[in-house]
Amino acid sequence: MSAVIYLDNAATTPADPRVIEAMLECLGSEGDFANPSATNHAPGRRARARIEQARADVAALVGAVPEQIVWTSGATEADNLAVLGAARFHRARGRHIVTSRTEHPAVLDPCRQLEREGFEVTYLRPGAGGIVEPQQVEQALRPQTVLVSLMHVNNEIGVLQDVGRVGALCRARGVLFHVDAAQSAGKLSIDVQRDCIDLLALTAHKVHGPKGVGALCIRREPRLGLVPLVFGGGQERGLRSGTLPTHQIVGMGTAFRIAAAEMATDAPRIAGLRELLWQSLRALPGVELNGDPQRRVAGILSVSIDGVEGESLLCALPDLAVASGSACAATHAEPSYVLRALGRSDRLAQSSLRLSLGRFSTRAEVESAAARIRDEVLRLRAVGLATPVAGAGG
Amino acid sequence: MSTDPRYCEEVLRRLRELPGAGDLPPGAVAALGRAGDREQGAAVELACAVRAGRVVEARFRAFGCPHFLAGASWLTERLRGARREELAVWDWREAAEALAVPAAKYGRLLTLQDAVRAVAGNWPGETGSTV
Repeated sequence: MSAVIYLDNAATTPADPRVIEAMLECLGSEGDFANPSATNHAPGRRARARIEQARADVAALVGAVPEQIVWTSGATEADNLAVLGAARFHRARGRHIVTSRTEHPAVLDPCRQLEREGFEVTYLRPGAGGIVEPQQVEQALRPQTVLVSLMHVNNEIGVLQDVGRVGALCRARGVLFHVDAAQSAGKLSIDVQRDCIDLLALTAHKVHGPKGVGALCIRREPRLGLVPLVFGGGQERGLRSGTLPTHQIVGMGTAFRIAAAEMATDAPRIAGLRELLWQSLRALPGVELNGDPQRRVAGILSVSIDGVEGESLLCALPDLAVASGSACAATHAEPSYVLRALGRSDRLAQSSLRLSLGRFSTRAEVESAAARIRDEVLRLRAVGLATPVAGAGG
Repeated sequence: MSTDPRYCEEVLRRLRELPGAGDLPPGAVAALGRAGDREQGAAVELACAVRAGRVVEARFRAFGCPHFLAGASWLTERLRGARREELAVWDWREAAEALAVPAAKYGRLLTLQDAVRAVAGNWPGETGSTV
């Protein structure tokens, strides 16, 4: 039994016991362990059937048909395949891409690679709440734009982009639209048809599935071409070669099926816990919410706490598993690029914490965590310099 | 609960207990040394009570990472008994060794060194004191 309160579900989640059970059925000699490409024998066909059931479960959660799902090693690979694969395949149409400054590195780094290959990338700056307005996207589009890439929910601050409106304008302009849904799938409604999403990156481990497996949902009608990143056995219609990991894929399918069934009860419960956490922390002077207060996913709370340095606060809270918005480097604490893009000062960005809740988070944990954070903030502030904390009074 | 390998036990203890934090008793004849900038992630104020040409007590206030806070705390003990001349040449590497500070954090210790040397520059009775 761990004494640590786990509030880092945006980093990863524990697998649901039902997921673990399903995965175990695919590992041992009595289970469906066979290579799902070996359909010439019964064990291979059983493994293949489980893969296809998982494909259907994942597709159903995002309003797709199973044929649209290509398995990957996670959302990072899915983002890479989407951004690099689409841009390279369609480069004759144009070499301009639009994305935002607050995307995950799984999108930003492929964009930088494409810049080295001769593409031009427009990095939109979100407003102070972290939202990229659809009009900003519209104004950035050019005749040469081939791809717009925007995350559904930001992994650091939890804000929610209006992918439906961006998708509609991209579709009207004939521009491909990629969405990183790593933090939203299974937590919010996503429908690739309704939201005009051509490429949707998914992962299992943010929604109580296993690490090491994800998927890219690819528009099928009309068929969307991609240049693969991995070559080999021609699995996944040649888009992602490599033996399919049956146990992980079954884990992802199970996790997505559970999420579909329980989202309606999980999301409001988790949002209530997040609100309880926020109300407890905001009672401290000098605590600010990062990101839009309304347009946000249930489980992520990012706060800046003036007067304490993030790494020290984290270190003083070994009984909490939370994330900081800075990394102290050689001569300068490197603040989060997301918080800086929102216009947060370096000082506040360095003093930020991300607390993220999941299906197994409890009210008792939230109350205990809030009390611990309050105690440590007050203790560290007491030894700080005499710079006044906003609203701290005497 | 596993221990974070980035910090030695002495750093963790000092962060927990913060020995030497706070202010000197009222009325002490003190030399102050300030260095760093909160906007840059680290700032410190060292206050040293001086008697008969030596530091007799020291306190710190600081904002920064665990190694920085632990370093400031460690200095309040290290500086006791020191003369101005020692402070003027004190080198950050001593704290790096005592607290097993990783190379990535050496810049932080230079800020502590600046504060120690500022104390020397502000020695009571010295001309040019900036306190």
